[in-house]
Amino acid sequence: MSDRTLRVIIVDDEPLARSVVREYLRAHAGTEVVAECGNGFEAVTAVTELSPDLMFLDIQMPKLDGFEVLELLGRAVPVIFTTAYDQYALRAFEVHAVDYLLKPFDEQRFAEALSRARARIQARAPVPVQALLADARPQAGPVARVLIRDGGHVHVIPVEKIDYVEAQDDYVCYRADGKNHLKEQTMAAAEASLDPARFVRIHRSYILNLERLARVELYAKDSRVAILRDGTRLPVSRAGYARLARRL
Amino acid sequence: MLPLLARLDRLALYLGLWLAAGALLASLLAGRGGLSPGAAAAFAFPLTTAYAFVCLSALYVARSTPLAASGPVRVAATALGASALSSAAWLLLARGWSLALTQWTPLRIPFADTAAIVFGVGILLYLLSIATGYVVAAFEQARDAERREFHAQLLSREAELRSLRAQIDPHFLFNSLHSISALTVADPAGARRMTILLGDFLRESLALGALERIPLWKELALVEKYLAIERVRLGDRLQLAISAGDAGGCLVPPLLLQPVVENAVKHGVAHVLEGGLVRIEAASTPTRLRVAVENPADPDRPRMPGTRLGLTNVRDRLRTLYGTEAGVRWTETEGRWRVEITLPASAAGRQES
Repeated sequence: MSDRTLRVIIVDDEPLARSVVREYLRAHAGTEVVAECGNGFEAVTAVTELSPDLMFLDIQMPKLDGFEVLELLGRAVPVIFTTAYDQYALRAFEVHAVDYLLKPFDEQRFAEALSRARARIQARAPVPVQALLADARPQAGPVARVLIRDGGHVHVIPVEKIDYVEAQDDYVCYRADGKNHLKEQTMAAAEASLDPARFVRIHRSYILNLERLARVELYAKDSRVAILRDGTRLPVSRAGYARLARRL
Repeated sequence: MLPLLARLDRLALYLGLWLAAGALLASLLAGRGGLSPGAAAAFAFPLTTAYAFVCLSALYVARSTPLAASGPVRVAATALGASALSSAAWLLLARGWSLALTQWTPLRIPFADTAAIVFGVGILLYLLSIATGYVVAAFEQARDAERREFHAQLLSREAELRSLRAQIDPHFLFNSLHSISALTVADPAGARRMTILLGDFLRESLALGALERIPLWKELALVEKYLAIERVRLGDRLQLAISAGDAGGCLVPPLLLQPVVENAVKHGVAHVLEGGLVRIEAASTPTRLRVAVENPADPDRPRMPGTRLGLTNVRDRLRTLYGTEAGVRWTETEGRWRVEITLPASAAGRQES
């Protein structure tokens, strides 16, 4: 195990910054750069296809930032962040980054990070990134967009386009622009990530975007139904109606 | 030192006022003391002139017992005590003067008849001087407070301007240094070019930042240097087009465009995969200068903190410098982000005189 080649992927939108990592890696036998990516989308695709052992990840990038890449990958890829910004260090360790390299960094500091990564991989300590991200979320405040991975492909849904969210077994289904997007997530996590001023849990299985609501009708005794602007009907539980009434 | 004695015109005015006191004393001596008008005048005017200088000390009495800090009893006691003392000294002087006049002139001054009047007038005049002293002290205090406040205002505005001028993002430096670190191995000549570009840019922004106003063309030249450095980092993704024409001669606060152009790169071009063009256009009329910065922006870009901060700083800075005469507006339409700054046009030649 310890003699196995370390397969590395480098993610940074600046070619020169990628070349620094590549150059430093050359001095370390038993490492191989399997891919270089210039943006978050490419990174998600490459990690899905190549399952690397280690990822060097910039934070500020086009399309998806480094944290969003991690959120989408939802699996244990050990990550070393490389960035010029020190204000993300705390968040980086919340998602169990192996290390956090501040640009510009030297070979010694780089070697340190690399041996730390090797130690973690050898200990085979699983990193429950998804769970940790869910923990870290409430601090980050409500999300502005929901990211959904579909194989190596990424969908970005701005929250204002979401009509409602529906629970489906181990997934939640985001309904937006007439399409359904499945995301591996719990309803509680979905509810926590959405702005409570805009989204209300109207039922055990439904979270509604208030702007889509046309009216609420009594359906049977103690049971109500929400009718959306496009005519969709969603069940409203008693607790859900109480939450809704408080908001309206 | 007493400000009064330092200025001749003020001293003359002060002594002129004391002539009135002299006239008062002379008429009292003539009416009640039984002196001849000539003797009363010759006796009274030199005495009051001398007393004018004694009464200058009343200002110190007023200062040493400020009304706000001392009780009314203490103020009254001090005033009366000081008046009695001064008047007694004055009486002594009057005695000497009356003897001198009697001895060397035909005038007759019966001192016993005049002593009470001189002493009473001396007390009254000194009390009046103390009252004037309090008015002067209050006036000085108000003026000091005003000056302090003005100074504080000036300081705070200066600090604000300094912080607003420090608009260059340190992350720009860190990223540039990282690029140089990459180039030292891959392209040593390129690394040297980059250090020189960076050095030029920093030196010039420090030099320009210390000035009150600079011509727009200088600001644009600085922006070009900045974008040349960013182009090393971002490659051909970053394109630039500047057109200013006659507006280049207009004066602007230094580094006004810097945060706007930084935003155009950091939150604009850098987030578009294929990159794009930063377009800067300036136009002026005889009274107004308008500068627009336009760049492509990905509507789905990750929202990083600080996008608006630079622009709010620009807005605050313009408000401090021009009040409602200047403004900045930003709009986003169809993937292009546009910032427009308008301010009063003032040509370089006029202001530098």
